Formats: sequence, C-alpha cells, structure tokens
Amino acid sequence: MLANIARRSRTCLAGLAGALLIIIWAPSLMAEVMGELTGTVTDPAGTPVAFAFVTTTNVETGRALPAATGMDGIFRFTLPSGNYRIKFESRDFETQEIPEAVVSASSRVIENCVLEAVAQTQSNITSDPAQKTAPSPSGKPAEPSLEDLGITPSQAKGNAREQALLDRRSHMLKIHQRLGLITIAPLGATLITSAFAGGRETSRASRDAHAALGTATVGMYLSTAYFAIRAPRVPGTKTRGPIRLHKTLAWIHGPGMILTPILGEMAFAQKSRGERVHGIASAHGPVAIVTAGAFGLAVVSVSFKF
Amino acid sequence: MLRKLLISFWLLSLPALAWADSQWALEQSTLTYHVSHPLHQFDGVSHAAKGKGICREGECNFLIAAPVKSFDSGDSNRDLHMLQVTRGAEFPLVTVRTRLPESATTSATINLDLEVQFAGQTFEYKQVPFKRSVQGSETRIRGTIPVKLTDFKIDPPTLLTMPIKNEIPVRVDLSWGPIR
Repeated sequence: MLANIARRSRTCLAGLAGALLIIIWAPSLMAEVMGELTGTVTDPAGTPVAFAFVTTTNVETGRALPAATGMDGIFRFTLPSGNYRIKFESRDFETQEIPEAVVSASSRVIENCVLEAVAQTQSNITSDPAQKTAPSPSGKPAEPSLEDLGITPSQAKGNAREQALLDRRSHMLKIHQRLGLITIAPLGATLITSAFAGGRETSRASRDAHAALGTATVGMYLSTAYFAIRAPRVPGTKTRGPIRLHKTLAWIHGPGMILTPILGEMAFAQKSRGERVHGIASAHGPVAIVTAGAFGLAVVSVSFKF
Repeated sequence: MLRKLLISFWLLSLPALAWADSQWALEQSTLTYHVSHPLHQFDGVSHAAKGKGICREGECNFLIAAPVKSFDSGDSNRDLHMLQVTRGAEFPLVTVRTRLPESATTSATINLDLEVQFAGQTFEYKQVPFKRSVQGSETRIRGTIPVKLTDFKIDPPTLLTMPIKNEIPVRVDLSWGPIR
C-alpha cells in the first residue's frame, strides 16, 4: 500500500515538476530590455518649450516613436536598448537633431535640447507629414493639419507605457494559446487511456498510465491558466465577442480540472483495493468528460467564427 | 477712362475667381479593414475618422485621420491584439494625405496618390481609384486601399500558429460637405 502511494506520488510529482518548470521558465521569455530616455526642451533663455514634438528613431530598425513635451518642457521615452536619433521640432523654433543617443537596459539617458528661434522670414516645416502646413504664396497654409481636425498634440502623442502593456499582454496570451493547444495532446491521451483504466478487467499499469497522463494534463492546464490570469488587463476595455464565451467556459473547466484528479485519486484507491468504484468517486468519469468538453469548446470558441 | 479701369480690374480678378478658395469637412465616414485567416474572415470598422480638405489656387489637399483604437471587429480580445501588432498605442493615429488638382474633384472616378501614415511608417499608394457621387450638398467618395501589412513593417499576427494574409484591404466610404 505504502509502496503504491510512493509510486503514485512520484508520478504526480514528476508531472507537477514539469508544469512548475514551464511556469518558471516561460516568464523569462518575456523579459524585455528597456531603458529610459528623457530630457528637457528649452529656448535659449532657459524657458521650457511646451508641446514640442520629439521623435526618436532607432538607427538600426528605422522605427520612429513620436512624443510631445509637457508644460514643463520634459519628454520621456521607455525604449528597447539601441542607438537612437532624436529630432526636436516646435513652432517658431529651428528643428534640431541629436544624431546618436545610446539607450541601454535599465538605464536612464538624459538628452536636453535648446531650441533656437527661427528667423521671421523662414517658414516652419515639420518633418512629420501629418503635421506639416505648407504655406501658399498668400502666406496661408494650404494643407490641413491635425490641429485643423481638432486633434490635439496629446491625442496624437504615443504612449510607450501603454504599448509595453499591450506587448506584455499579447506575449503572455500567445504563450497561453500555445500551452492550451499543447494541453490537448495529454488531455486526449488521458481520455483514450480512461477506456483501459476504468473497466472491471484493468491492469495496474493501465491505471498508472492514465493517472500519469491525467497529472500531466492538469500540470499543463495550470500553466496555461497562469498565463491567462497573469496577462495584464487593459484599463477601459469592455469584453465583447467570442472571447466572452471563452472566459465563461473557464468557470466550468477550471473547477473541473481541480475536481477530476481528486475524484480520480479516490477511484484509483478503490480500484487498487479491488473494489468497484463507488460513491462520489463514480463521478470522476462524467466530471472529466464535461471538463474536457468545456476545454475543447473554449479552444474552438476563439478558433472559428460562428 | 473709367470703363478701361473697370475692364482691367475685371480681367485681373478672373484668375482669383477661377481659384476661389474652398474647404471641405468630412461629415460621415466608414473605414473597414478586412482580414483573412485560414479559419477566419473578419472586418474591423471605424466611424471615427476626421477629415478636412483645402482647395486653393487650383489644387486641393486633403487630410483624414482616424484613431487606431476606434476600429471595432466585434471582439475585444482581437481588437487589443490588432492594436498591439500595429503599435496602436505608440502611434495612435492612422493618417491619409492626398493632393489633387481641383478640376479632378468633379470627375466620377478619381485616381488618387495616397500617403498613409500608420504604425510609425509612411507608405504611398499610387493611383488608387475612387468613385465619386454627389447627393445634395454632400460628395461621397468610395474606394478600396490595397493595404499590405508589410507596407508598414507589421508582422502578420497568428492564430493557432497560422498567420493572417498579408493583404488587409481597407474599404473607404467618406461623405464630404463644403465648409461655408
């Protein structure tokens, strides 16, 4: 009896250890190497220039990220490490550029800028086509600007923090999706081996195999659930569409994945004693089927359009 | 003498009349992107675009801007994922600029060169055909921009490890009215 318990415990521990390894290892995939780039934009007298456009361009990838200074003239970017070109633009000031600023992981780089006032005869042309206002000979702008559309600089300004949140969320949900798909394999195998584990003429080996696969399924499932639960929420988002069904089904397969192994353990013990499975343990099969069905439907709900 | 002066003044004022300034405002808009996946076909729709056109000296410049966040595909999870892959938080607006001769604005079919800014990239689409129809004071413009994800250096998102198609055509339906 004790030997049996020890052997079963080893099987379960192996499954759980595998799941734990996945939980520990996977977040390291998400580690992003970010640094901060900040500074103050002022005029020659040292007065902060509010709403100046600051654009950082990654020299290697060419990816540009715009922002605007606040009332205090301060701008701030959270960027992946790399070399950046920084452009400063503001109405009534000459455009300035810093050709290279090196941002490295977990560091803070400060790049201040003093903008020179533009000569009165020179027109202001920003490099961003969405912002440019090319003057006509009459002196009036002939091209509409974002301001003409009622879009303020703050509305046009990017939010690196929000993007980082979205990136993290998507990354975790991708892992959730992959692990969920992988979980289908041990889940299917567990269901198949249940045919050889629950009948009257079953061997201990087939029951052990069923129990081991079931443990692996639960381990994989918990890992899958972890990435969905820990994925950051985006404030102000109302859940709409098929994802609602996907989330609702978690209330069925979640408790089912906890209940099924408990009932399975009870059924296993009864069978090992040579008894017929009875009492609450006899619910192991139906609960497992409902759980597997809800899990399968959850996968299908986000995979196909109804 | 007075008559000569009047005729001269009238002749000089002709070009100014021909190039009378006019401005247009976007009154209604529907922008729809279409995504194809081996298991899915879906559309994302936005009615939140703002636009303005300025016609001056025989040339018209139009600007249309829509928040990337405003596109709704009917599934919040999918919309957030699209927002992430298109860098919608870093670059909250998609803008379209076009320039055309004022005389072309009266044709039934207008071929436009479009400069699209999206996901931190700028791409030009040449000679995109649009249908123009007039209903009262409103001018309706309809067409499809042949957008590809690679035009904006966007990696196609995947579902069940299968990527969506690179082509995401954007149907445009805009109603413009003159600004008086």
